[in-house]
Amino acid sequence: MASTLYMDRKSPVHRLNPVTKLVILITVIVIVFAIPFWWVAAGVVAVVIVPAAVVSRCGGRLARLGLTILLPIVVVLFIVQGLTFPGGRTALWEWGPLALTTEGLLFALGIGSRIVCLVLASILFVLTTHPGDLLSALTERGMSPKFSYIISSTLQLIPAFRDRADGILLAQQARGLAIGKGLRGRVGAMMPLLAPLVLGMFTDVEERATAMEARGFGSTARRTALTPVPDSTAQRIVRWSMPLVAAAAIVLPLVTGAL
Amino acid sequence: MITLTDIGYAYPDAEHFALEKVDLHVEHGEILGVVGASGAGKTTLAKIIAGFIPHVDGGELTGTVVVDGADVAELSLSDAVSKVGLVIQNPFNQISGAKYTVRDEIAFGLENLGVPREEMVERVAAAADLLRISHLMDSSPYALSGGQQQLVAIASMVVLRTPVLVMDEPTSQLDPAGTRMVFDVLSALRDAGSTIVVLEHKVELLREHCDRVAVIAGETIVAVGEPREILADERMPEWGIGATRFTEAARAAAGRGVVAGGGTLPVSLDEAVAFFQEDVPA
Repeated sequence: MASTLYMDRKSPVHRLNPVTKLVILITVIVIVFAIPFWWVAAGVVAVVIVPAAVVSRCGGRLARLGLTILLPIVVVLFIVQGLTFPGGRTALWEWGPLALTTEGLLFALGIGSRIVCLVLASILFVLTTHPGDLLSALTERGMSPKFSYIISSTLQLIPAFRDRADGILLAQQARGLAIGKGLRGRVGAMMPLLAPLVLGMFTDVEERATAMEARGFGSTARRTALTPVPDSTAQRIVRWSMPLVAAAAIVLPLVTGAL
Repeated sequence: MITLTDIGYAYPDAEHFALEKVDLHVEHGEILGVVGASGAGKTTLAKIIAGFIPHVDGGELTGTVVVDGADVAELSLSDAVSKVGLVIQNPFNQISGAKYTVRDEIAFGLENLGVPREEMVERVAAAADLLRISHLMDSSPYALSGGQQQLVAIASMVVLRTPVLVMDEPTSQLDPAGTRMVFDVLSALRDAGSTIVVLEHKVELLREHCDRVAVIAGETIVAVGEPREILADERMPEWGIGATRFTEAARAAAGRGVVAGGGTLPVSLDEAVAFFQEDVPA
């Protein structure tokens, strides 16, 4: 089982070429960080991310993951910045030396909205893009197959090695290994697990290298793909347009004096 | 097709040779079974034939290995792997880890070699069909059982259509039905012109499917011959290889005086039936 958050859905967002989605994601991040107004980030969430989440039918999972990741960050951000912002002058509430200021809250809103936009867009990308398709698309565009292999195999082999660790632990327990309670007990239980796991991994690496070479991984032939990643002229146009949009987002506020 | 002449090999930093004075010839379109006790050097022999020794493992190799008319030591590794497909013992490590479906996993080697897509589609479907794993094509390779992974690992090498296939215990994770099916596949590949070297402990299946059997013991090949002749050899226990259960039963029955014995010991069910019928009529 791969450690991936990908949700298999038949939606237009899923069908987009992964590179198109990646370019849009990067452009969205550039826009919200280049134009530091909270309403820009909020607008991107409302106009781009939420509709895309609805269309892709990943909204529920996006909301749950987003809340889990963002809630503690945003709460801490508002508390810290609201109470300690150096330029805070307009106090909304005071208690002893602590003062919650409008300036601090607005600063937190600016930073927080951008973080929310960045995290939600990234999660949506991961939910709607199969890692295998992403790596195939990137390899087609010249990314080293070895680099692609490192990412892809890491995603799949970590859970496989976790299963093996569970197996070793079970075998050790069957031979009388007692796992103590609490953090100390668990760390203690790790010790007899490490040697067989690590040594086994070294042997595996050697065997896996042999198996990969046997399947032509070291070949210098131009690689082909069994499952071509879908693409279209419209998507190519979008991909070429996005850098211009990102550049405009950086340059225009400076030229117009909006910042 | 494969000729090993006076092969000797020592792993890097090893004091002793893992194999010594090995001479072996495998004909085109033949299945050669190789048996030997654990640690006898079967995997080493497989790697030598496939060119991984000395290209990958290093060490000291003496003698010559000629496969399909080419000296393997003089070939690059990628040229060697285009001649010899190697199925390793542990299917978990044969799975690339780079692909998310069995279909893409089987195609991985073809993609690396730049085979056109249309040809890949046909070859992947044919290999999956041969190994009877077509129903698993959309599954993740890591969601499969050990036996299913082994079939995928074999399919991923069969799909490369190398003239020589070396298989190191290809049925170690399979149940009896899966094991029999793999040997049927090997026979089909042989009939289609492949040359196969299979290193295996299941001696009864070697008798049934191999054209010849070689025995490794004491770091060298001590016997090569017809499966029947090798499996009935009295030195099998001495070489660290158990005889077939039919041979053992006949030998035990003769030892306890149940049957007269003295004749040729059986190595298959049919022979065992005939053997006991002679002495113990119904």
